[in-house]
Amino acid sequence: MSAVSQLALLFIGAALINNILLTRFIGLCPFFGVSSNMETSVGMSLSVVFVMVMASTATWVVWEFVLAPLGVGEFLYIPAFILIIASLVQFVEMYLRKASPVLYRAMGIYLPLITTNCAVLATATEAAKPGFFKMNLAITNSAGALSLGEALVYTLGVSVGFGFALVTFAALRERLDLAPVSRLMKGTPIAFITAGLLSLAYVGMSGWFGL
Amino acid sequence: MSEWFRVFKQGLSIENPLTVLMIGLCATLAVSTQFQNALFMGFAVIFVLTMSNVLVSVFRRLIPSEVRIPIFIVVIASFVTIVDLVMKAFVPSVYSVLGIWIPLIVVNCVILGRAEAFAYQNTVGLSAADGLGMGIGYSAVIVLLALIRELFGTGRIVWFDGVLFSLPAGYAPPSLLLLFPGAFLVFAFMIVGARWINERFEARKEAPACRP
Repeated sequence: MSAVSQLALLFIGAALINNILLTRFIGLCPFFGVSSNMETSVGMSLSVVFVMVMASTATWVVWEFVLAPLGVGEFLYIPAFILIIASLVQFVEMYLRKASPVLYRAMGIYLPLITTNCAVLATATEAAKPGFFKMNLAITNSAGALSLGEALVYTLGVSVGFGFALVTFAALRERLDLAPVSRLMKGTPIAFITAGLLSLAYVGMSGWFGL
Repeated sequence: MSEWFRVFKQGLSIENPLTVLMIGLCATLAVSTQFQNALFMGFAVIFVLTMSNVLVSVFRRLIPSEVRIPIFIVVIASFVTIVDLVMKAFVPSVYSVLGIWIPLIVVNCVILGRAEAFAYQNTVGLSAADGLGMGIGYSAVIVLLALIRELFGTGRIVWFDGVLFSLPAGYAPPSLLLLFPGAFLVFAFMIVGARWINERFEARKEAPACRP
């Protein structure tokens, strides 16, 4: 298999087959929190793609050049990664406010929320820390580590999959508001059942391309 | 002391983080395929929540409010690291299944939420009660969800190498319950159940007050 098709498989695997929201349950808080209308879910998806790619790059570099050489990665990775993500998000927010008001208006309010979005921490950890990445070991080297390029493609796949699932779900929920639902079921329970059915569709994709 | 129990009980019932407040859902649905894993996840959350609540509460007068969130995160991350390393050392079989979920306790909204909303403003004793109550409320839901999914999804409950309980041999388990959609469906019905119980509870409590 050529390198390009391997990367393509990594992307599809991360985006659809191992969709972070619907088949791995990571990042469910924003999934239920912002999905009640279409506009906010599009804004959230864009911000997640943006922040996730930056966060993975940063954690990968820090793991490779600081934590691993010093031999402290095993017990410092949790505080180190969460602090990297939190400060990165803060910087991105300040930079966007100054440099690009248009972009800031589109995703500014979602940025602080993303700090505590587990999807970002999970993906950044999986992309950076060898051994946490279990999805498709054929592509990785013996230690289970990803190269920077692979880590970026993987992160991009995960975040696009996140956005895709979030926007689909928001479209469904907008319709759901108009549907007659019994009193006890209204709101969250029926949203969960919808998510369950949506997730069933994603389960159907497992096994594609032997992933 | 009665104040202590009131705070403790709130986490269990009317302010249950999962079924009422709907926060910290991710880990709940993911690790609830097996009773054993759910129980260990529950212990991990109870430990981190109680300890971080206590520590934040002890230092609440010293923490400047401008930088409180990063400080809370560092406190929580340290306790999560302790759990991470202890589990890896003593229960490796559970750790290999829980995997990414242990580090993800850091960003579990329940814990940061309680540090911010409760421990930062209350005394140490009450914060411990809140942490224990919320932690046990969280664990109860996650363990119940896992019991339902494992019992009806596989027909038995497994504890390490032994079988704790099993349904009659003629039972054909629907594997849907163990798959991802099953978690959403079972949890949806659990919320409905919790709402129904809370409604009945409130109705009973309000009834005497309405009498002239």
